[in-house]
Amino acid sequence: MFWRIVRRLIAANRGRLVVILLALSAGATVTAALMNLQVDAKRRLTTEFRNFGANVVVAPRITILGEGPTMSESWLQQIPTSIEDRHVSVVASLYFLGGVSHPFSKDSQEVVVVGSSGTDCVAGSRLAERIHAKVQDELWVGYWASDHGQKQTCRLSAIESTGGPEDDRISIPLVSAQRLAGLLGRVSLIQISVPGTPAEIQNYISNLQNKLPDLDVHGIRQFTEAEGKIYERISGLLSATVVVVLVLTMLCVMAAMTNVAMERKNDVGLMKAIGGATRRVLRLFLAEAATLGLIAGIIGAAAGLALSVALGKAVFGVAAHPRLIVYPIVVALTIVVAVAGAYPLRRLAGIRPASVFRGEA
Amino acid sequence: MFIRLVADSFGRRPRHKLLTGAALALGMAVATAALSVSLDVGDRLSREFRSLGANLIVSPTADSLPLEIGGVDYRPANAGAYLLEASIPKIKTVFWHNNIIAFAPTLDVLVHESTKSFQTSASADAKTTLIGTWSHHSVPLADGSAFATGIGQTNPWWRLDEGRWFSDTAAECIIGTKLQKRDGMKVGDELHVEGPNEKVSLKIVGVLTTGDSEDDAIVAPIQVAQQLVGRPGQYRQLYVSALTKPDDDFARRAPSQMSPDELERWSCSPYVSSIAYSIEGVLFADVRVVRRVADGEGRILTRVRTLLWLVTLAALLAAALAVGASSAASVIERRAEIGLMKALGAGSGTVGTLLAAEQLLLAIAGGAVGYAFGILLARIVGEKIFGLAPQPSLLVLAVIIGLAAAVTLAGSAIPLRRASRYEPAPILRGE
Repeated sequence: MFWRIVRRLIAANRGRLVVILLALSAGATVTAALMNLQVDAKRRLTTEFRNFGANVVVAPRITILGEGPTMSESWLQQIPTSIEDRHVSVVASLYFLGGVSHPFSKDSQEVVVVGSSGTDCVAGSRLAERIHAKVQDELWVGYWASDHGQKQTCRLSAIESTGGPEDDRISIPLVSAQRLAGLLGRVSLIQISVPGTPAEIQNYISNLQNKLPDLDVHGIRQFTEAEGKIYERISGLLSATVVVVLVLTMLCVMAAMTNVAMERKNDVGLMKAIGGATRRVLRLFLAEAATLGLIAGIIGAAAGLALSVALGKAVFGVAAHPRLIVYPIVVALTIVVAVAGAYPLRRLAGIRPASVFRGEA
Repeated sequence: MFIRLVADSFGRRPRHKLLTGAALALGMAVATAALSVSLDVGDRLSREFRSLGANLIVSPTADSLPLEIGGVDYRPANAGAYLLEASIPKIKTVFWHNNIIAFAPTLDVLVHESTKSFQTSASADAKTTLIGTWSHHSVPLADGSAFATGIGQTNPWWRLDEGRWFSDTAAECIIGTKLQKRDGMKVGDELHVEGPNEKVSLKIVGVLTTGDSEDDAIVAPIQVAQQLVGRPGQYRQLYVSALTKPDDDFARRAPSQMSPDELERWSCSPYVSSIAYSIEGVLFADVRVVRRVADGEGRILTRVRTLLWLVTLAALLAAALAVGASSAASVIERRAEIGLMKALGAGSGTVGTLLAAEQLLLAIAGGAVGYAFGILLARIVGEKIFGLAPQPSLLVLAVIIGLAAAVTLAGSAIPLRRASRYEPAPILRGE
């Protein structure tokens, strides 16, 4: 009987209820899209931050100047290469002062040579300009301390311009650098690019510090600090918008419900006149609101997840991953909002059947 | 008569009007807050990004290649070119001078350092970098005011563990935390420093941590470094931190290949490359864009901005829906009244105009109140998230009032259309 009346109520007031349903589903859609995007946007942002470069470095503890200290390459195996299924990129490099020249040319340019994990020979833009080198040129790279000894040829595969110290350097494969400098199996710096929230990165650093007690592990504050701040701001903004949209949805439903309450005066008056208790009548309307919330939530959450995929593609260029956990949360939230939005129906409790039938009120 | 009817309608049912007005005001408040925050967020965030440090580096055009490993430059002191410290204030004369928020010159010199007398520090290999820079410098500007800047502004992640910054004119210095631990020095100690040209004694006034190579270095006033190298009034690198607009395809084109029109448009946008170009013009030096910082920043800013605009749009839509529904409700309520008016001979047009005027009045009042509330809300959100309230903007007020009017009219239009078709008789009978 109860549900039959609810069904009738919904069927009888179709026009108005479509408005409520529309408002609720619109709210649910936006909420679901934002919630899903929020999780995803935070993740994307931390990935985006890694464009700044490495944020954690491992260096030998003792700083002796001159040649620059080195450490064994075998430490590399101790470094975890993933953090919660995201890839951590690890680059080991060996630095030394060396010379670069065109083959058989007398004048060699003094330069910092970087041996890193690439397989190519890459020159910085300012260096290339200085020695008039072009891509595909053959170059001689030598070790500073041995003018007549170690020299190696390399074919320039690219010229890079970063605005940083890389512009003044030449980068060759790590093994070649180790051979040139006579430091087999040694590296001078390990740069690690850790994606994740500031807390996750801090965790990674302290973890690594425990694993490598003989080495100096630290975050590059320039990036870790600024990233933390920016991350906090953006995620605060996103959370604030989710709350705002929910409040708005509630407002919308409330307005529509006020409307419904006006139209229902006669129905309520009749129900009361034939002996319906106020509580039962109210329960009826709340059940109606909850049903509407459920339907709107189910439709809206599905639409929202689809929307967030599209939004993610528009904003970050990568489709957001739909997270199923968002679905039940949004449906539940929509029901809560619908029931809370039914607050104006409270006025129905105060209706006196007699005055309704007399056509007053 | 018309005005009396409208006034009467407000006077007779103040509670009803108040309710509709409140819903309108609330919706518009949210819209205002969303709009003001997202209008403001680009500026705020790009300021926030400046905590990443300098995005432009000025160095001499005819410089030799720096031989820098781990923060130590192995070039001999007499190699390479220098720039004149006296010409730095010119940087604040470029077109985008208001976007340049901080700059600081540096001059690095390799020194022997010891807390004991000069003779005992002669162990040849223990060399430390001394970085000469500005801590709190006031740069006089053309309009007579002064601009305060320093390395603490360009590199905000430089923090003092203890003590204070050195004064730019005193014989003082701060030391890196690793250096302090290695050599066991304390704040207040006298540090003897021997450079290629001269020897000086500096008082240690603070301990610096940066998480980078400066942790092994001494930081002192630039005059001290100039004295040590024997290059009075000169510096080697200038770090510039500027607020920029994210680069797009247009920004990346070479200025030499643009038509005069394009060049004007290009230099009137605060792209990082156009700011670099204008600094190059006044300092006659090589200005490099730190691509890693500038590009990453540009990309994130563009994304966050798009995201926020989409979200604001969604919030505006939701607000419009809410307000539209409530104004629809207020028209439906008045069916009996409409019936009566028609029975007394009012045409559909008159009734429609009357109701529309009421709704418009409500929209303007509700919109204005909503705007005030929204500014308050934006203040709270802005202060919570950025620690700074957004500036209230008249543009937002205009948009909000316009939106409120459009939405209430649209919301009332459908019930009004229906109302104009009502037959007075059944309504008056209560059917």
